[in-house]
Formats: sequence, structure tokens, C-alpha cells
Amino acid sequence: MPLRTREQLHHALAEAFGAAQVATLDDAEIALQVVLADAGDLEVTLVASEHQIYCSTPLVTAAQVRDRAAFNDACLRLNTVNPLSNLGLATIDGEDVYVVFGELSADSSDPQIVEEIRMLGVNAIDAIELLKPYLVTA
Amino acid sequence: MSILAKILTLFRGTANEAGQAVVDKNAIRILDQELRDSTTELAKSKQELTKVMAQRQLSANRGSALLDKRREYEGYVQGALAKGDEALAREVATKLSDVERDLQAEADSVQRLDASIGSLKTAIRDTETQLSRLKQQIDTVKATEAVQRAQSAVSARHSGANSKIGTALDSLERIKLRQEEQGARFEAAQQLENESGDGDLKKRLSQAGLVEDRSNVDGILERFRNPQAVIVDGAATGDPKLLAAESLFDKSK
Repeated sequence: MPLRTREQLHHALAEAFGAAQVATLDDAEIALQVVLADAGDLEVTLVASEHQIYCSTPLVTAAQVRDRAAFNDACLRLNTVNPLSNLGLATIDGEDVYVVFGELSADSSDPQIVEEIRMLGVNAIDAIELLKPYLVTA
Repeated sequence: MSILAKILTLFRGTANEAGQAVVDKNAIRILDQELRDSTTELAKSKQELTKVMAQRQLSANRGSALLDKRREYEGYVQGALAKGDEALAREVATKLSDVERDLQAEADSVQRLDASIGSLKTAIRDTETQLSRLKQQIDTVKATEAVQRAQSAVSARHSGANSKIGTALDSLERIKLRQEEQGARFEAAQQLENESGDGDLKKRLSQAGLVEDRSNVDGILERFRNPQAVIVDGAATGDPKLLAAESLFDKSK
């Protein structure tokens, strides 16, 4: 069983980010969403399972990347110096989406989870700013 | 196929099916089944270990009983020889020979069982490590799937049927836009302050020569053209702000 209930996690996040910024997602698992006001309303999705707490936020859709090979190369290099978070590729609704994610042990403290989420926001914004030259210029 | 290879195959397989969950419930069920099978296998190995250890114990017990018997028969052989009863000695020696052969056989058996116990223990340890890794991997796959399901739900909520995933790129654009707005607001406020506040009035008064500013270029030149003023020190500038600055920094005072 997860070490926290959905309500406990919601409460801890609401304390840190403001009640209006945190939403519980209707799901079988413990899934929550935090909107980071400081990071341009970036949406971080949180899923708590038995062993870990998984945080993820979409970085950019693959369709917005000009040169996938060059972008992948840059992502892998950036990944080695990214504190706490990782860059990855996921498929959401059949669409390839680059994500920034982090995993925490389920017994992490509330401040550790909050720090992870903040860091995820900072890293995502930093990463996309750095990776912008590889994107399709609208 | 290793479990990681299976998971990757599942990802690849579902990546092509637009609109589908990344790893569907069936895939998770298959992985869970694999986990259960491995757990059953582990339990069997543990039972096997218990059985082999019991066999080893029995063999060791038999060995020590044979050892006692060997000492006993050795005594009889010595006794018979001491009495000069060659025939009896030979009869006991024959039995002793059987005992010694059995003893050797039990020793071999114990050694063989010890080797089995060693390799079973190693196998069990390896399986346990693999099982906990497998559990974590399945957990991660489930969490990843839940995250993606959640993200998909979020994007659907934002824009209905025509869902678009909100990314960091969108946020970066919002941040830039907000910064620009803030910059523009700040500039506007400054302009307003200049136009309506003291700033503009002072500037115009100074330009009209109505506000005396002895710290300006003309003032400084005037001070040096009139050296007595310099000797009497900062007081000559007559500027209270400059005087305050002097007393703050001049360590000789």
C-alpha cells in the first residue's frame, strides 16, 4: 500500500503550491496535478504507487521538433547534467511527447516531494529554453 | 526474452496504436502473471532447499553413527588379535571393511549435498534480487501508464475533443509574455512618474538654473578655482548629501 493517501498528498501539495493549483485526477491510482504558477502554469502530473512517486511534465511534442536525431542527442547530453529530473520520450494519446520526469521513493518526505516538483518545473523551463534551437520555428 | 525486453516491446507495440493507452491492462496482467510464476518458482526452490538440507542432515547422522561403529569394530579387531583369535579378528575386519566403505559413501553424499545446497542458495538469492527488480519495473510501468493516462485526461479537459498537450514550451512562451507585459508596465509607470512626479519638475528647474547643484561639473570647477574652499574641506561643497557621504567613508576622521 502507498505510504500516503490521496488526501494526505493533496493536502501537502496544496500547502506548498496553493489549493487552487492542485487537482486530484480521477484515476484508479493516486494521481494529482499541480499547476506551477512560477513556471508559466506548467502542469506537473504526480502518480504515487506502492514503491515510488512519479512526477512528469510534457516538455514538447515530437511534432514540434525540427531534427529529431539532433534533438535526441542534445537531450541525452542535457540529461547527464540535469539535477533530479530526467528527460524521456512517452506516447500520450498516440502522440510522441518528450517529457521531463523524476522518481522518488514512496517513503520520501513531503518537503522532498515539493522540492522535486519545483525542480521539475525549473528543469523543464531551462531545458526547453536550451533546446529551442532544435524546434520548428512557428 | 528478458522482462525489460518484453516491456520495451510492449511500449513499441502500443506506440503505433494511436489513441491507445501505452501499456494496456492485458500487458500489465501478463507481467503480473510472470511475477506470480517467478514467485511460485522461488517457493519451489526454497522447498527443494529444505528437502536437500534434511537429506544432508540424515546423511551426516548416518555418517557419525558409522564412525562410532568403526571405532567399536576397531576395538573388537584389536581384542581378538590380542587373544590370538585370528578367525574372529578376520570376521570383524570384514564387517569393519563394510562399515568403512559405507562411511566413505556417506562422506561423498554429504559433500554432494553440500554442493547442491550452495548452488540452490545462490539461485534463490539471484531469483529474489530479480523478483524485487521485476516488481519495481512493473510498478514503474504502471506508474508511467497512469501518468500518461492522467496527462491525456488533463489535455482533454483543457480543450475538449481537440485536445492539445500543454508543454513546457507553452509555459516558456507564457513566461516570456508575462515578462514582456511586466516590462511594459514598468516602463509605463516610470514614464508616468517622470511626467507627473518630482523627477520631471526638478529636471526642468535644474535646466532653468534655478536649482543649485554644486556637485555638478560647474560646481566642482568652481571649488578648485577657489582653493580656500578646498582647504576648508567638504564643507565647501555645501552639499549636505556629499557631507554625509564623506563622514561615512573617511576613516581619517
